Amino acid sequence: MSLSAYVPILALFALATAFTLFSVGISQIVGPKRYNRAKLEAYECGIEPSPEPVGGGRFPVKFYLTAMLFIIFDIEIIFLYPWAVTFADLGLFGFVEMLLFIGTVFIAYAYVWRRGGLDWD
Amino acid sequence: MNGFTIATPAQVLAIDVRLPDLDYAAMAPMLVLFGAACLGVLVDAFAPRQSRHTIQFALSFIALTVALLAVIREARVGSRELTADVALAIDGPTLFLQGTLAVLGIVALLLVGERALEKGGPFVSQAAIPVGSEADRRQAREEGATEVFPLTLFALSGMMLFVAANDLLTMFVALEVFSLPLYLLCALARRRRLVSQEAALKYFLLGAFASAFFIFGMALLYGFAGTVSFGGIHDAALLATTSPLLLFTGLAMVAVGLLFKIAAVPFHVWTPDVYQGAPTSVTAFMAACTKVAAFGGLLRVLYVAFDRARWDIEPVIGTIAILTMLVGAILAVTQTDIKRLLAYSSIANAGYLLVGALAFSKEGLSSAMFYLAAYGFTVIAAFAVITLVRDDDGEATHLSRWAGLGREAPLVAGVFTFLMLAFAGIPLTSGFTSKFAVFGAALGVGEAWPVALVIVGVVTSMILAFPYLRVVVMMWLSEPAEQSPTVAIPGAFTSAALMVGVLATLLLGVFPSPVLDLADRAAEFIR
Amino acid sequence: MTTADVLMLALGAVAVGAAAAVVTTRQIVRAGLWLVVALGSLAGLYLVLSAELVAWVQVLIYVGAVVVLLLFAVMLTRAPIGVSEDLDRSRWPGLLIGGGAGLGLAALLIDAYQWSTVDLADGAGAEEVGAAIFRSWVLPFEVLSVLLLAALVGAIVISRPDVSARVGR
Repeated sequence: MSLSAYVPILALFALATAFTLFSVGISQIVGPKRYNRAKLEAYECGIEPSPEPVGGGRFPVKFYLTAMLFIIFDIEIIFLYPWAVTFADLGLFGFVEMLLFIGTVFIAYAYVWRRGGLDWD
Repeated sequence: MNGFTIATPAQVLAIDVRLPDLDYAAMAPMLVLFGAACLGVLVDAFAPRQSRHTIQFALSFIALTVALLAVIREARVGSRELTADVALAIDGPTLFLQGTLAVLGIVALLLVGERALEKGGPFVSQAAIPVGSEADRRQAREEGATEVFPLTLFALSGMMLFVAANDLLTMFVALEVFSLPLYLLCALARRRRLVSQEAALKYFLLGAFASAFFIFGMALLYGFAGTVSFGGIHDAALLATTSPLLLFTGLAMVAVGLLFKIAAVPFHVWTPDVYQGAPTSVTAFMAACTKVAAFGGLLRVLYVAFDRARWDIEPVIGTIAILTMLVGAILAVTQTDIKRLLAYSSIANAGYLLVGALAFSKEGLSSAMFYLAAYGFTVIAAFAVITLVRDDDGEATHLSRWAGLGREAPLVAGVFTFLMLAFAGIPLTSGFTSKFAVFGAALGVGEAWPVALVIVGVVTSMILAFPYLRVVVMMWLSEPAEQSPTVAIPGAFTSAALMVGVLATLLLGVFPSPVLDLADRAAEFIR
Repeated sequence: MTTADVLMLALGAVAVGAAAAVVTTRQIVRAGLWLVVALGSLAGLYLVLSAELVAWVQVLIYVGAVVVLLLFAVMLTRAPIGVSEDLDRSRWPGLLIGGGAGLGLAALLIDAYQWSTVDLADGAGAEEVGAAIFRSWVLPFEVLSVLLLAALVGAIVISRPDVSARVGR
């Protein structure tokens, strides 16, 4: 087996880890330590951090719909890849089968669109 | 390794791409239903709201009829083959069960499509609205979802695929295709929303567990046999180069998934809650069609893949069958809700079906298939009657509300009496002939386990007769309560479903031989 | 020990440790994030076994999408971020069942395969998977698209936006 293709990625991982450790470590040693309230808070892009969703309530259920849409098209793409690399051999048969697959998922898309699943309010 | 670079011609040549032979005629019943379900989704997306119900019902009805005709055509040709690269087995049991599913599906569809009993139909349009909220009150007045039709078709097509699946992977996909719509349908009851939501959630969570067991067992069986096809597992069991422990653990886990679906003890706990909470027409659909599909799958797994392990699995599944019959029958006696009573009766009936299946003979197979068809018609008709007995809060399912129903509505009470007698196994009903067939098949084997199972079966049938007869006595001999429920006048659809169910129960009891012969001729799996 | 063996053991240890952290951490969001580590190291295991496509499917679907769905579910159910005492249960039954099942399955697999070795097939890349899908599994593959459709219809039936506001549609 040859994992050689992944050696650069592994090297990148190692480099990133080393860099992180190095910069965190060096700032511990040489950096000045002056704390104030804002510095001790969790970083939340300028939003006031809170232990619960904003308003203390639940998130609207449409987030769930968005997540479902995402996962379904994610799965579709997963199947597109092996199809694409064998496309030349599969010929018309593979093409038609894939069209059927995509067509069915597209029906889902059309349905969600018509039902207002893509509107945000 | 360079899977993420574009394949060079040399690599492409190394891969053997044989295209599978697809027998479209044999797959037609499933393809028609899949196609119709997709069309149904499009109808829901684009058709105007007022006409959706009509279009959806007509579409589903036509699709099921065409599917039935396709099954009949295939049966006439008499094809016996593996198709779609051995993913599907088109053989006698497949065609018999697919035909049964199509017919029962049509009858159940009539109940699902009924809108005469309640304004807007028996379903609501959105499942997850919190009970008691403003939106919930509003939706109670609105028209129900028409997605129930495509969902029903999805479920039925999954079931048809399930009974034909010839490997565990196809079976798993089919299992999911028929389970997912059922979870959703359970959550859509118009009345008693909270119970309905609870039913759906319980069914979904436990069903997901069962699916997880199934797929883990599949992995172990793949480890054992190196393939997931039933024929391959059968061959590997003969050679037994790997540890048989792997085989048995895998089988046990796959069996958990299947026994959950047929509601065998100890995997039955969801059944009463789900049967009670789901819309009654959906309960009827589940009780009849899920039983057929799940049992068809179990029969194929046992008879095709594991027939060599018969002696080892007989004690385990035999014990499960005994427990199923006992628990179903005894707990049915204690029930005070008619839908829960029928749920426990359905559990007990799963036990009787297992008696037939464990005969491991042609007779066992054919009698189990006959039982599935006969039970399906009776149970749909019984739930159809339940949809008719109503008060202001929807269906009056508590048994005390049924007291004195015989005086209020002698015809409906008479029909229900007949159905209860059929469940109890009184001669001249299909309940008698089907029980007679499975017990006869088990006795015909003449070994210890089947005989023991038959003894338990007869004893529990007697126990089970008690709750049925109590309902009958209550309807005819008790005084009606202060505010007795009214019996709604059934719409054309419910009437038709009732008529078919009752007639089938009667005919299969009086002249069972044509269907028995059909099941007998069909009772041979191919590998 | 080859490099592959070392990688297998290391990734396996990470997967088991992260999985243990998923069920022992007291904060539900951290459990979700530990799941990312567990699933990610599983992807690494697949990679070492030269099942390249499966590894990336694992990353894209499980690490990428399923965990996101999980975190969404946490947000939708008003679960507080932080320690949630009301989600705690007595640990012994879970430990007994989970540990027992895990050890039992491990014993089963060790007993079944013992020291037998299998050469890594150099054929679990995208081409082979593609060929297998369209040769042996074309029917389940197509049915899968129907399952996805049914799932999305279900998502709408569960959570569609207010219907009465859009009667015209």
